[in-house]
Amino acid sequence: MPSDIVIVGGGVAGIAAAVVAARSGCSVTLLDSGSAVGGQYYRGAKSPESGSGLSYEALRRAFDELVVARGIDRRLDTYVYSLARRDSGFVVRTRGDDRHRGDVDVLESRAVVIATGAFDKQLPFPGWTLPGVMSGGGAQALVKGSDVLPGQRIVVAGTGPFLLAVTYALISAGGNVIAVVEANDPVGLARHAWSVLPAAGKSADLAKFVTALAKKRVPYLRRHRVRRASGTGHLESVTISRVDGDWRGIAGSERIWECDALAIGYGFTAQTDLAGQVGARMRIGSDGGLAVEVDERQRTSVPALMAAGETTGIGGVDLARMEGLIAGVAAVEQCGRQAALSDAAIARGMRDVLKLRRFADALHFAFPVRDGWRDDVDDQTLVCRCEEVSASKVRGAVSDLGARDARSVKLLTRAGMGWCQGRICAPAVDALCRFDSAASLIGGSYRPVAVPVPLGAIAAES
Amino acid sequence: MSREVVFRFDGAPYPGRDGQTIAAALIDHGILSWRRTRVDDQPRGILCGIGVCFDCLITVNGEPNVRACMTGVEDGDDLRSQEGTGYAQ
Amino acid sequence: MNPDVVVIGAGVVGACCARACVEAGLTVVVVDRGAVAGGTTGGGEGNILVSDKEPGPELDLALLSRELWAQMAGSLGDSFELDPKGGLVVATHQHTLDYLLRFADEQRACGVIAEPVAATDLPDHEPRISRDLAGGVLYPQDMQVQPMLAAAHIIEAACATGRTTLMTDCAVTGIDVDASGAVSGVRTAQGVISTRHVINAAGTWGGEIAALAGVELPILPRRGFILVTEPLPPLVRHKVYAADYVANVASDNAGLETSAVIEGTHSGTILIGASRERVGFDKTLDWHVLGRLAKQAIEIFPLLAEVQLLRTYGGFRPYCPDHLPVIGPDPRVPGLLHACGHEGAGVGLGAATGHVIAQWITGASTSIDLAPFSPARFGASHVA
Repeated sequence: MPSDIVIVGGGVAGIAAAVVAARSGCSVTLLDSGSAVGGQYYRGAKSPESGSGLSYEALRRAFDELVVARGIDRRLDTYVYSLARRDSGFVVRTRGDDRHRGDVDVLESRAVVIATGAFDKQLPFPGWTLPGVMSGGGAQALVKGSDVLPGQRIVVAGTGPFLLAVTYALISAGGNVIAVVEANDPVGLARHAWSVLPAAGKSADLAKFVTALAKKRVPYLRRHRVRRASGTGHLESVTISRVDGDWRGIAGSERIWECDALAIGYGFTAQTDLAGQVGARMRIGSDGGLAVEVDERQRTSVPALMAAGETTGIGGVDLARMEGLIAGVAAVEQCGRQAALSDAAIARGMRDVLKLRRFADALHFAFPVRDGWRDDVDDQTLVCRCEEVSASKVRGAVSDLGARDARSVKLLTRAGMGWCQGRICAPAVDALCRFDSAASLIGGSYRPVAVPVPLGAIAAES
Repeated sequence: MSREVVFRFDGAPYPGRDGQTIAAALIDHGILSWRRTRVDDQPRGILCGIGVCFDCLITVNGEPNVRACMTGVEDGDDLRSQEGTGYAQ
Repeated sequence: MNPDVVVIGAGVVGACCARACVEAGLTVVVVDRGAVAGGTTGGGEGNILVSDKEPGPELDLALLSRELWAQMAGSLGDSFELDPKGGLVVATHQHTLDYLLRFADEQRACGVIAEPVAATDLPDHEPRISRDLAGGVLYPQDMQVQPMLAAAHIIEAACATGRTTLMTDCAVTGIDVDASGAVSGVRTAQGVISTRHVINAAGTWGGEIAALAGVELPILPRRGFILVTEPLPPLVRHKVYAADYVANVASDNAGLETSAVIEGTHSGTILIGASRERVGFDKTLDWHVLGRLAKQAIEIFPLLAEVQLLRTYGGFRPYCPDHLPVIGPDPRVPGLLHACGHEGAGVGLGAATGHVIAQWITGASTSIDLAPFSPARFGASHVA
C-alpha cells in the first residue's frame, strides 16, 4: 500500500515534516537509521514532558501521539539504499540495520521528504587514522547516546561553535577536556555572527557552553590547530601549534600534549546521497560544501521531492525544524491536500528560515576552512582511509596522470572507492587537488547505492 | 538504569549496558581498536561515529563488517576483531 | 601546433593509438573533451579476452592484441595491474555445455587455447564455484587490466617521450579539410591543430566525431551495468562467466539481456556484469537489471548471496550493427582514420588497434587485414 509521503530521516526536520503531514490527513512513513527518533541533536531522548507551539518538544510529543492516532508508519533501524522516481511518485528501497541488512523492502509514495542530516567534515593530517582520533559528532554520540567518554584526556579541535557543543556534552558527563583548539579567531565573529545571534535565539546556547567551559577552566585556544597525532597503535599525543590567518603553522610554536582522545571536526558535510540519486540540483553552500538546492517551500528541482534540514545546507537545529515544517506543508500540497498549518504560521516559518539561514551564513563566514591545512599533509598521510590511498598518490594522479576532477582521481587512485564511497575524503581530495569545487564536488557526489546491501537481497527482487 | 549485558570480545567476557553501541561498550573498557586494515595492516577504531565512514567494522557473531558505532550491543554477543577484509582467506 | 597525428579520445584505444604512433616515429596530440579515461573506458571492466570471440577477423585481432598488451605491461613496469588470470566459461545445463564445447573446438582451430573442464573438476580451478554446473572450458589466454590506469600510464609514457601532447577538457568542435577533401586540421575549444591525420578514438561517441568530418558511422550505445562488491579475499581466481554471455554479445536484440560475468580485482572487490540494453544514453539505474545480475552471479558462486554490494556503475558500449569495430582509413575523407566501435572489447582490442593504425599511417603493411573493419562496409553515405 503506497504512502502519500515517505520521510527519510527522523531528526528534528523529519519529525516536524511528519507532524504537519499526518495532521493534514496524509499517510506518512518515516524512516530512520537509528534505534530512536531525534537525530544527532536530540538523540533518542524520551518523549518530552512539556513544550509549546512549534518547539521540538511540542513536535516530538505530537509525533509520538500521531504514531498511535494517525498511524504514522515509523520504521527505525531502517536504511534507504536507493531512491528512484516512478511515474509521478517514488520508489524507496530500504534495508534493516547491520544485524539485519538482508531485510529489504520496497516502498512507494507520492512525495518524499529527504531529511538525512549531515556528518562532520574531516581534513586529513598526519596521524589522523590512529584509534582515539574521532569526529566531534562521534564523540558527542558516544557520550549522549551511550553515556561513554571517548577517553581519559580529551582534546577537542577543529573549527566552529560545534566544538563548544561537543565540549559541553563531554564535560557535563564528567569528561576531562584538556583544551579546545579552534583554528579560527572567533573574535572576528563580533562583526558578523554576534549581531544576528539574538535574532536567531542562539545566544542562550552559546552562553551556556561558554559558562561551562569557564567553570571547568577548559582552555580555549584560538588560531591553533592540531598538526599531528602520534602514538603506537593508538593516540598518545597531539602536536598543536599556533597558525596564521590562512591556517599555516607558525614555526616554533609547536607543543605536544599527551591525550588519548581527539574529537575533531571542521564543519559538516550534508548527506545528499538520495537527492543525488534522483538527479536533484545541488548547490555549494556558504561553507563551501555541497547541499541540495531548494526553493522557498523546500522543494527540490525534482517534482514532489522536498528536502529539509542540514541536507539543504548546514544551518543548525532551529533552521532544520523550521525547514521541516515548510517541507511538510509542501509535501501535503503535493498530495492535493490542505496543510494543517495556518497561512500566517507558514509565512512566519518561511521568514524564520530566511533569518536562520542568514545566521548560518554569518557563522560560516566567521568559521571558514582556510587552505593552510594542506601544507601539513605530507606524502605518506592517507587521504582515503578506506582504500588507504596516500596524499602522494592523489597528487600524482593530477601531476602525472592527467586527472582533472574528483571522478578521474577516484578512477586512477581508488580514493573514494571504498566502504564510505568518498563521503569522508571527497572534500579533502578536491582541496588537495585544487579542483574547481562546484563541478568536481557535484560530479563526485553521485552514489547509486547509499548503503551497502547484500547481493542475495537484491537478487530476490528480480 | 539500563540493564547489564555480557558480551565477549576476542574470547574474553566484558560487561556492557543495554542501549550502548558496540563501539561505546568497547571504548568503555579502553578498547579503542578492533580492526586492522587490509593494505597497510594498521589499527582502526571509530572515526565518524555515526555510521558514515565504515572505519569501525567488526565481526559480530560470525558476521563480518558490522558497524560498531551503529549497532547496539546485545547480551551474549560474540565480538571479534577483524583483519583485512573481515573474511577468512 | 602541427603534429603528424591528432588522436581524438583519451581512453584506452586513443592511448594505444598514441603510443603506437610515437613508437613509429610520429608526433601526436591527444585531445579529449573530458579527462583521461573519462568516457567509455571509465565505464568498463578491462577485459582482454579471446574466449568470447568466434573465429573470424575479431579473434585474429584479439590474439594479436593480447601479445601486444603483454609487451606493453612489460615495458611500462606493471603500472596497470595486468593480470593473466585466464577465463573460465561455465554452462549451467548440458545443452549449453554442448554448444560451448563445439564453440571451443572451432576456436582451438584458430589458435585459441581452450581446455574443457568436467563438472567434477571445476572446483580444482575455482574452489568456491557452484557444484550444480554442467561443466566448462578454461581459456588460459584471457587477461584483465585496470583500464583507467592503463589509459593514463600509456599516455603518460607517450608524453614522456616528448613527442606526445595531451589536451584534456578540450572538446573537438570541427574537422577541417583542404580543397582536395583531405584532413587539414582539428578545431578544438583550445584552438586549431593543423594535422594530416585524425584518429577517431571517441568510443561510443565515434559517430559524433565522424559527423564532424561529414561522414556517417553507425555506432550506437549499448548500456551495461556492473556491480561492485565489498573488498574480499581472493575468492574468484579467473574471469568466470556463463556460456550464455557469448550468445548475448553476438545478439541483435535491443531488449535487456543479462548473463553473469564474475571476476576479482587487485583491490579485492568483485565485479559482476554483464547486462546489455539498447536504450540510448540513459544512465538511470535499473534495480531490476541489477537484481538479475546478482541472481545469475549467485547461481555460479553461491557465497555471493551474503556479500554486500558497495556500488554500481554504468557504461555505454560502442556498438556497430555487425558487432565488429571500425578500424582504419575512411575512404570518404583522406586522412581520417577510425579506431572505435569495439563494443565491449575496446580495452582488449585496443593494443592491436593502435598497432595496425600506426602501421597504416606510416605506410607499412598491416599485421591484420583491415578490410573487415573498414568503414566502407557500411556504404559510402556522407552526412548531408
